[in-house]
Amino acid sequence: MPWSKKAMLRMGPVVALALAACAHHAKVVAPAPTPVPVTSAAATASPATTPAVVKPEPTMVAPVRPEAEVVGTELPADLDQLNRAGYLKDAFFDTDKSELREDARQALAEDAAWLKQHPSVQLTLEGHCDERNTEDYNLALGWRRANAVKAYLATLGVASEHMTTISYGEERPFAIGHDESAWAQNRRVHFVITGH
Amino acid sequence: MTRSTRTPLLVLLLTALAGPLAAQQEVYLKVTNPGLSRVVLGLPSFASVGTIDPSMASEFLTTLRRDLDQTVAIGVLPNEQARLVVVEPGNAALTRQRWRAVGAQFLLEGSLAGAGSQLVAEVRLWDLSTSEVAYARRFEAGVGLAATLAHTIANELVKLFTGKTGPFSSRIAFVSDRTGAKELWVMRWDGDAQQQLTSYRSITLGPAWSADGTLLAFTSFLRTAPELLMLRPSQGSLITLSTLPGVNSSPSFSPDGTRIAFAAGGDGDTDIYVVPAAGGAPERLTHTRGINTQPAWSPSGRQIVYTSTATGSPQLYIMDAEGTNTRRLTFEDSFADEAAWAPDGIRIAYTTRVDQRFQIATLDLRDGRRTVVEGPGRNESPCWSPDGTMLAFVSNRTGSAQIYITDPNGQPKQITRDGSNTQPAWVVQLQ
Repeated sequence: MPWSKKAMLRMGPVVALALAACAHHAKVVAPAPTPVPVTSAAATASPATTPAVVKPEPTMVAPVRPEAEVVGTELPADLDQLNRAGYLKDAFFDTDKSELREDARQALAEDAAWLKQHPSVQLTLEGHCDERNTEDYNLALGWRRANAVKAYLATLGVASEHMTTISYGEERPFAIGHDESAWAQNRRVHFVITGH
Repeated sequence: MTRSTRTPLLVLLLTALAGPLAAQQEVYLKVTNPGLSRVVLGLPSFASVGTIDPSMASEFLTTLRRDLDQTVAIGVLPNEQARLVVVEPGNAALTRQRWRAVGAQFLLEGSLAGAGSQLVAEVRLWDLSTSEVAYARRFEAGVGLAATLAHTIANELVKLFTGKTGPFSSRIAFVSDRTGAKELWVMRWDGDAQQQLTSYRSITLGPAWSADGTLLAFTSFLRTAPELLMLRPSQGSLITLSTLPGVNSSPSFSPDGTRIAFAAGGDGDTDIYVVPAAGGAPERLTHTRGINTQPAWSPSGRQIVYTSTATGSPQLYIMDAEGTNTRRLTFEDSFADEAAWAPDGIRIAYTTRVDQRFQIATLDLRDGRRTVVEGPGRNESPCWSPDGTMLAFVSNRTGSAQIYITDPNGQPKQITRDGSNTQPAWVVQLQ
């Protein structure tokens, strides 16, 4: 993630707004035509020397999500189908880190919102790592990642007793390959819905 | 970094001075006993007595010669010199002097006899400098066990010269994915006779032997979450040692075989625990936030070395076996993990990171001197031979992860080829 610290700091309130907007518009079914990505607005913001307020903030809307159509309806009974539908976004990590990145927090906030709408859902949080550490160290790192995500979701109001954590270390990579693009895909916490 | 010893440079320099030897790129273990050089052994064909299958006699001698040639202690006199020896009929003493004249220091004479279902070998080891018999012994084995007989005799000879039994009956347990899933396998120390131990079609990791070769502890995802299991390979019996929350990984037996250190723990942290090998409640030894993993007992049983992120990056630490007197061991590495304590108690081999690549390092506990060997590819998971004269490790230099052992010159020799093969664990023999 090549964002500067400054950009991240500047993004803080925007994200908070976005989250508030998410919560507020949780029941909105028809999304705005083109949702503006939250991050690009912040990332391309002008330097601090220029006036901060140039134009009105874009309207924040909940991103297009499949659950917009199924709110209030039953989730598919078939767990495979449910997991394939991709209701929950995985959280991605920096090399060797278990701290949550800003993009991970954002994804998890959306996940938490969805989980709170579907409080019967039980899920497993799988910690995964890229291949660049030793096998056993990666197991411990994946465990740390899975539990960091669990703790964060709990602070957002998701019931801890519905979340099981497991680490697969580097044993179940998502992307096969030995370069940064594959490694970045493999440093994640992946959600598997196990019941609802 | 600047204070560490970079072996390849040193070796290149030395070999350049030495002249005709090929340049050595990668030497893992320097001579472990200064002053000890290889004994040159004359090994003539054994006399066949009675009805002995020639192929069996040939298997016996080939195995014996190959075994002895792979040790640091003994080298078999090469054929070019051995063939110059003219046997003097009726004058064994003169024949022995001729062996000495072509460079042999010791001579191993023997006979091989088939007696019913038994195979009987009689060996005499002559010290050619004194013309005395240094060792003589009779061995018996079942008729199909010619190779085992040879391994046993080779072990005895190495013990004569080094005080430690040779590696020829030793086995290496490892993890292989050649069937499509990571399973436990075991092979002879030189890569022969590879045998699949588990067929769980799950994830199996981190094998560790009890020192006597009766028990093999490992991590299995068989029942979804990783658990610490223990197998008795001679019986196939399996018990569950730990189902604590967390990784249940990285088992290491105490030298007396009564306890197993491993890594586990809830809430995201991983700590070192110890569980009785007979089963029982695990006891927690570390209480540090972050990751504490990869414990390895000292040969005395009094200390445990392990990896901890207590100060940020993974580094090696030592504590007493009770979890007290913790101190940091590595300071020069950006990453240090997978510590393996040498049987001599003096050295620790581990995995370090140099220029973003894993390499094998050794640390001398007497003076803190660190030696990093830079080999091609990524090199990790070091493991000592039971006698401490060799290392096994994993390298991906061929494009896939394979197990290598060091030869008598400390240079790597690939011993696996099928699939990817990792996490070697070496034991003196199976029980």
